[in-house]
Amino acid sequence: MTHVSHSVDAADSRSLWSLSVDERAYVAFVADHDGDNICQRLADMGFLAGRSVTCLVTPGFGAPRVYAVGGSTYSIDKRTAQLIRVVNERPA
Amino acid sequence: MRDILLVGAPNSGKSALFNRLTGLKHKVANYPGITIDVGKGHLVSDTNVSLWDFPGTYSLTAVSGEEQVAIDNLRCALNDDREAVIAMVLDATRLEKGLTYCLQVAREAARSKKTFIVLLNMMDIIENDDLELDIAGLQAALGVPVFPVSARTGNGVNTAEQAMVSGEFDLPPWAETPDVLISGSAQQIGDRFSPKGDLLVRRQARLDHWLLGTVSGGIAFVSIMTLFFQAIFTWAAPLMDGVEAVVLSMGGLVASVMPSGMAADFINDAIFGGLGAFLVFVPLVFILTLIIGALEDSGYLARAALICHRPLSYFGLSGKSFVPLLSGVACAIPAIYAARTMSSMQERLLTYVAIPLMPCSARLPVYALLIAILIPDGTFFGGLIGWQGLAMSAIYFFGISTALLVAALVSRLGNDNRRGQPFILELPAYRVPIARPILRSALNRAWHFVRKAGSVIFMVTIGVWILGYFPNGGEDLAGSWLASLGRFIEPVFEPLGLDWRYGVAIIASFLAREVFVGTLGTIFGIENADADPAPLADQIAASGLSAASGVALVVFFTIALQCVSTVALLAREAKSARFAITLMVGYFVLAWIVAWLVFVGSSALLS
Repeated sequence: MTHVSHSVDAADSRSLWSLSVDERAYVAFVADHDGDNICQRLADMGFLAGRSVTCLVTPGFGAPRVYAVGGSTYSIDKRTAQLIRVVNERPA
Repeated sequence: MRDILLVGAPNSGKSALFNRLTGLKHKVANYPGITIDVGKGHLVSDTNVSLWDFPGTYSLTAVSGEEQVAIDNLRCALNDDREAVIAMVLDATRLEKGLTYCLQVAREAARSKKTFIVLLNMMDIIENDDLELDIAGLQAALGVPVFPVSARTGNGVNTAEQAMVSGEFDLPPWAETPDVLISGSAQQIGDRFSPKGDLLVRRQARLDHWLLGTVSGGIAFVSIMTLFFQAIFTWAAPLMDGVEAVVLSMGGLVASVMPSGMAADFINDAIFGGLGAFLVFVPLVFILTLIIGALEDSGYLARAALICHRPLSYFGLSGKSFVPLLSGVACAIPAIYAARTMSSMQERLLTYVAIPLMPCSARLPVYALLIAILIPDGTFFGGLIGWQGLAMSAIYFFGISTALLVAALVSRLGNDNRRGQPFILELPAYRVPIARPILRSALNRAWHFVRKAGSVIFMVTIGVWILGYFPNGGEDLAGSWLASLGRFIEPVFEPLGLDWRYGVAIIASFLAREVFVGTLGTIFGIENADADPAPLADQIAASGLSAASGVALVVFFTIALQCVSTVALLAREAKSARFAITLMVGYFVLAWIVAWLVFVGSSALLS
């Protein structure tokens, strides 16, 4: 896994998957996933640095979780959610 | 004269607008990625104007082959010399989602000197919920005309249509804007003009808490799927009985006025037998498409995909395989098309491997006949559960389990990284399904079945009748051409305890599984066996088919890929005839081996 350039250090951020229900955070950056365009697709869908994201539902048994970003709702699995790094305060 | 190109993000309502403007019947559903080809039609109000419906994408950067094709087609249209209006459809309730793509296409339109407008769809939801949306401000910020419309109600569509046909507008002011500013501007415009508050998201989340909850979500899923399968059998039954009654009465009416002889035999057995062979399935296909359409339109199918993701991942599949596999219970053809929404080709191929094993409706009459032969028509638990119904459920369970196990085996043999494929699915808003487009889609599917599958079944039935009637005028089936053919292939099916008659029916059913019952009906001299298999079941039972052979036949039909349409479509969609032929041959061999093992085991148990 390689990381795209970003202003927030990976150590200061946590994964989107760590959000609990109704918790809001801000996208810090999306770690690039080797061999596919997942980073690009997430950006197209609104997972851009500084954008607020809220966890809406965490179904059990490791099922993909539901997040709201930019007025849309997405279901994202753990592996993908871990590529999205978030912080509690909106990045500068 | 100008062309109109409808573009936008997935599930923004392009196809619904296209249908309203052209009067055509493109499939629409509340599920992202349902449009997979560029559709073309003409405006109802002006047939000189062509309207093009492009598949939804999130940006001009493709992440799948289908997206690349859609984007390449759009670029070709933009570079074409013809006068064209680019109409970007935006979902007013999820404005931010489509804005980056909107500005990217606006820039390309400006560079190509094409007119560009925005159709702000789903305004009925904005109005019903008293949400505020500053359309004039949005128009000023985008620098292009914005027309509020509702594809569902039709409000605003006429005004937008007039503007698209004859309006003259300035080119978008984005021609020289670099990518980084496009993205930033889209974010700013989205933040500023999106409907304030999160009423819609919260409302949806309330339902999701229940429908996706660990316990409640599981209960809801099982309940909905139970209702789905119940509906297939109970709702379709009266309609199938009606079709059966009509075919039987028509056959009887014609037979009563014709003198006996070859012509009467041909009309009775071949023509009405052939008609009955496929017409009886039309209600089943209609009901299945209707229910799947209603589930799609309600927004639930996307949630079902989410729920199934984890369990399916154990078999190398993903939640996105759920809709194709569920469609496969109706028919493999729409199921194969449904798999196009999957961005990973590996994942798609694995779904193709599983689809032919799903218990499609074409297998239903075969199962119904064999169950009638093998299982007594009794009930237990005070008449609540019937033995035959239980046997049908067991066969369905066996078929679905086989599909999943084969997928798991193939995914592990493939040794690829499929388990790591990302799962991202936009969850559409919940809504009450609209009856008209769903009904229209179900009617289209039923008509498609009549035209495509019906003609094959009809021709095969007639062919089998001719082979069985000559050269001795139907006097002695054992001396017919059909019997000669059957005896030639008999060694293949003899180890399963099946004589030449079943061999002929199995070979004929490789064109379409439904043909099996009609062919056996012809061989055993039972008219309209498809419409009413009971007399044929009695005849077969009396002919000495052993229980072990009957069970082996069920197993064979559960696994074998006996459908030329499916094989042809698989070859086209997988872009590999070898893949499709390998599946067909592989499933035949697997079906024979498993059926033989079951036959040997059952024979030992029953002896």
